[in-house]
Amino acid sequence: MTALVYLEQTDGAVDEPSLQAATMASSLGGGAEVHAVVAADTAALAPAGQLPVDAVQVAVHEAFGSYAPLAVAEAVVELAGRLGATCVVGPGTERGNEVLAHVAALLDLPLAANCVAVADADARVTRVRWGGSLLEEARVDAPTLLLTVQPHAVAAEPGAGDPPSVETFTPTLSEAALALRVVERVAAATGGVSLADARVVVSGGRGAGSEEGFAPIEELAELLEAAVGCSRAVTMAGWRPHTDQVGQTGTKIAPEIYIACGISGATQHMAGCKGAKRILAINADREAPILQSADYAVIGDLHEVVPAISAAIRAARSG
Amino acid sequence: MRVLVCVKRVPMTGGTIVLTDDDRAIETRHLGFTISPHEECGVEEAVRLVEANGGESVVLTLGPTEAEEQLRDAMAIGADRATHVVTDGQEWDPQATASAILEAIRDDEAANGPFDLVVFGNESADAGNFQVGIRVAHALERPVATGLKALTVDGGMARCEQETAGGRDVYVLQLPAVVTVKEGLNLPRYPSVPGRLRAQRKPVETRTPERPAPRLAMARLVVPEGEGKQAEVLGEGAAAAPRVVEVLREIGVLA
Amino acid sequence: MSTALSAVALLAALAVATALFARRAHLLYRIVRLGKPTDRSGDLGRRTKAEATVVLGQRKLLQRIVPGLVHAFVFWGFIVLAPTIVMALLGAVDADWTFPWLGHQGWYFLLVDLFCVLVLVGVVSAFGIRKVQRPARFEGSHLREADVILGLIALIVTTLLGWHATQIALGLNEWPAGWSPVSDALSGLFGDGEATEAFERAFVWLHVLTILVFLVYLPYSKHLHIATAGINVWFGRTRARGRLEPLDFEIEDESALRLGAGTLVDMTWKQMLDTMSCTECGRCQDVCPAWATGKDLSPKLLIMGLRDRLFAEGPAVLGGGEATALVPGAVTDEVVWDCVTCGACVHECPVSIEHVDHVVDLRRHLVMSESRFPTEAGTMLRDVGRSSNPWGKAQSERAAWADGLDVRVLEPGDPAPEILYWVGCAASFDERARATARATATLLLHAGLDVAILGPRESCTGDPARRMGDEFTFQEQARQNVGTLGDAGVTRIVTSCPHCFNTLGNEYGDFGGDYEVVHHTELLAELLADGRLQPPVGEEAITYHDSCYLARHNDVLAAPREIVSRIGRPLEMARSGKRTFCCGAGGAHMWMEERGSAINEERAREAAATGADTLAVACPFCTMMLDDGVKQTGGELRVADVAVLLAEALERV
Repeated sequence: MTALVYLEQTDGAVDEPSLQAATMASSLGGGAEVHAVVAADTAALAPAGQLPVDAVQVAVHEAFGSYAPLAVAEAVVELAGRLGATCVVGPGTERGNEVLAHVAALLDLPLAANCVAVADADARVTRVRWGGSLLEEARVDAPTLLLTVQPHAVAAEPGAGDPPSVETFTPTLSEAALALRVVERVAAATGGVSLADARVVVSGGRGAGSEEGFAPIEELAELLEAAVGCSRAVTMAGWRPHTDQVGQTGTKIAPEIYIACGISGATQHMAGCKGAKRILAINADREAPILQSADYAVIGDLHEVVPAISAAIRAARSG
Repeated sequence: MRVLVCVKRVPMTGGTIVLTDDDRAIETRHLGFTISPHEECGVEEAVRLVEANGGESVVLTLGPTEAEEQLRDAMAIGADRATHVVTDGQEWDPQATASAILEAIRDDEAANGPFDLVVFGNESADAGNFQVGIRVAHALERPVATGLKALTVDGGMARCEQETAGGRDVYVLQLPAVVTVKEGLNLPRYPSVPGRLRAQRKPVETRTPERPAPRLAMARLVVPEGEGKQAEVLGEGAAAAPRVVEVLREIGVLA
Repeated sequence: MSTALSAVALLAALAVATALFARRAHLLYRIVRLGKPTDRSGDLGRRTKAEATVVLGQRKLLQRIVPGLVHAFVFWGFIVLAPTIVMALLGAVDADWTFPWLGHQGWYFLLVDLFCVLVLVGVVSAFGIRKVQRPARFEGSHLREADVILGLIALIVTTLLGWHATQIALGLNEWPAGWSPVSDALSGLFGDGEATEAFERAFVWLHVLTILVFLVYLPYSKHLHIATAGINVWFGRTRARGRLEPLDFEIEDESALRLGAGTLVDMTWKQMLDTMSCTECGRCQDVCPAWATGKDLSPKLLIMGLRDRLFAEGPAVLGGGEATALVPGAVTDEVVWDCVTCGACVHECPVSIEHVDHVVDLRRHLVMSESRFPTEAGTMLRDVGRSSNPWGKAQSERAAWADGLDVRVLEPGDPAPEILYWVGCAASFDERARATARATATLLLHAGLDVAILGPRESCTGDPARRMGDEFTFQEQARQNVGTLGDAGVTRIVTSCPHCFNTLGNEYGDFGGDYEVVHHTELLAELLADGRLQPPVGEEAITYHDSCYLARHNDVLAAPREIVSRIGRPLEMARSGKRTFCCGAGGAHMWMEERGSAINEERAREAAATGADTLAVACPFCTMMLDDGVKQTGGELRVADVAVLLAEALERV
């Protein structure tokens, strides 16, 4: 039994969801050998440090100088074939899912995306639906199990024992794979804190009432050095751009605390903020669904409560 | 230019998801339905492309008979005609979905010429498998860019912008191509009444292929246990502010 | 001048004036004929009554007593003095000619003298109002035109008196001079010589010519209303005022589809007549909540804008030209969306202009043809269509407010209840309005009624969509609900929402839905009167806010007051009853951003000024808006539905 896990990396360090995927992979198949694969344009970018895998293969090709999903997938497929992998795992990030989908298409095999649990002995997985508001238990009918791991479903564990061996190889890539790559980067227009990375996010929903109604929310966000988010109702009303939308079809956030003002808590919104460590709901409706997912609540009109919080923060800072 | 956009009928869940007794589906008795959000933007984009460049837009869905409602909605905002791959209501896994869509595309292209662009949603709101568009692209041997927030078509090329941390990554694809798009690509228009009336008369072609045996087969659905949270009410109205500040301080987000 | 010459001169003048008048009148008639059809037939009894009270009786004008009397004097004067026109025409030809029989009746000339004086009093007062008092309602009106008209009227009346006076001085009067004291007194100014003869001729000819000038000026000025107003009142709404006329979408030919008013040719003939009846009096502007809070909408300016477009483009269209878009050319988008459909304007208008119909038709075109409307309202329209409620909440949770109460939820196949409680979307989903639902259900059950709710099968009546102008979505909702209610066998409905009350009771009839619909305050008042609910008498000072859709559109005023006076000490606001001031949520404004200062705050201040402790309401929108309004103005007033207050009172037993 050999498992192959695809790792994403940023500046030489493996991303957290990939570490989680590797941890998941290492728990499979009762002691299977776990190989990791990363794609880079030079060998020098091989990941260092403790990884819960037995070996790391670095696919080196100049095509990997920028993100090229099909090329990465072809490299993974080549390696999987060579290793006789019975299981190919990736992180359930946007790009992880994209690469594994290409792998699945190349191999004409089923792919179970965003799994939270795998019982590979029975070819059973538990995967996420509705952005996390529902789980699906499914059976996979395939000689090789392809799956991506839902971020934060598994805690990443560093490898025990010796660090993994590192080898490089040069994959054979098709014309199509070489052509499908990022050719340009456009910097984000907005300044301020990025929603996806923010430590604190303050959001407004329908309860804000209007574009101007976001003023108290923006004020609080500024005091907390937080990013400002909003619900889908707000984006659809044209009050804020889609880039501010927190939710299943918007941005998924994972702050220390998420302050949701005037947001009722529809499942598609909660799918975007379940990564938050804590949620504070400010809502006039005691029976709003969000209160069942929140850690703290203030019952009241956000137009009264939020300015009061801002004032209290200022007072606490000066006093 | 010819554009095909694929949509899926999904229920609009509210604050909680309730399952049917057999745990194999969501209880939809009092739920409304819509085109999955990413795909709504896909339909709008397809209509805009044809408005700008001339040609024809076709909307396709794989779904039960009720999914015709979503096809009519898409035609109400301007899609010219529709193809309905009719299922009996059972779920089709991503591979089966992709091959049924592929069949329909091949037949349409044989009769009417290739689609310059085939548009999918990045993932459907319900099943969220993230793969149908990519599978279809492979089978058609066409390039595919995913998760697009901006798309411009000019001179046989598509400039595609994918959102990432800190900005957008750009791909340039040669047409014919496949794209998967995300909500935020555009703001879908509200259908006019003439549009809605015309949509009722626009042609819908139906096909009813056999459902192949699923290779990713749903056994049952489970509503995840809320961590049994009951929010600690810090107070009511403005009077709760001091307590909130305490909590923020405890967490360590108050400088 | 000889009789023959005079006759020729008079006939010539008459011919010219009549021709000019007729040409213009004919043009206006042809323009109105361009208008789309609308059914204003039948109901002859009510129409006659309207003519008698509103036109003859000047009822609506007299709602403001001073300007009302001013106008009444002039108007009644016009009627009384009408025969003198003929007398003058005859007299201009020959001083000896007069009206048969009437020309000899002393009592008639007493009336003539009296009304000449009253008319002059009216004219002078009118000048006083316009030049000295200068009320705000004239902002935007063409005052110069009015001055001209008043001047002409004064001239007509003074020349008449002058003529009669000189006739008496010359002994030419065919009636006993003593019967006309004023003319008689004035005759003392004149001798009986040649000079007076000249004056007599001068007065009668000036009188006639002034009348002819007036006749010609009439159809070119807002004084046109003397011809159109009577007709406009006749064709005014007799059925439920809150009912909007449905559009027909089942038309094969798409080009014949009327989707509201896009250009002037889409307007109905009644709407066109409306614009031709406007006198620019500004009473509508005075009571409009949008105008009162600094917005662009003035119902008067709206009608004037449409009228001006009609006159400017009408002739060209008759000649085969294309009509251009009404919005934003004649009316801006902001004005169209500012309206809360409260109907205060319609209630005030002395000539039965139906401004709300104009606004809704303009909206219908913008929404259904052009998809052009405030973005945030689009979410509401989509939610009504897809989620069956305007907030996009899950219908499965619609009856959550009833948890813990013994309310029967009607399932398909269940026997029909005696009365169905239609809760409405607001009371089902809004945390404040839910209290109304709970209280109402509790009270009805307590009184032993066989009542049930539809629960998740109750879907939005479609009122917000209809008021937005999305008639198509509204009709989908209407058909769906009529189907559900029909399947359930419902015949009697009670609702705690005036908008649902209006739609179910007045509008669903157009879609096959025929029910007896009562507002919960009506039912509760009945139960109080029957003794089935016996609350203790209360002392708390309560001021009751009339909902537009309840009081103005549907005449329900007494029932809520009966309840309030039972359980507390009622205090009325100045703007109450049918002159109530809107809370600001109507016309789909619950879902639109408000520009400028807030209507609900204005009303909240008014309520607080009564000194009451509690503000009682009978509508979930009013509950939400006024509660917000009180908070935003830093008030302490408690806002609660009448049912909630009644339930609380009963708990104190």
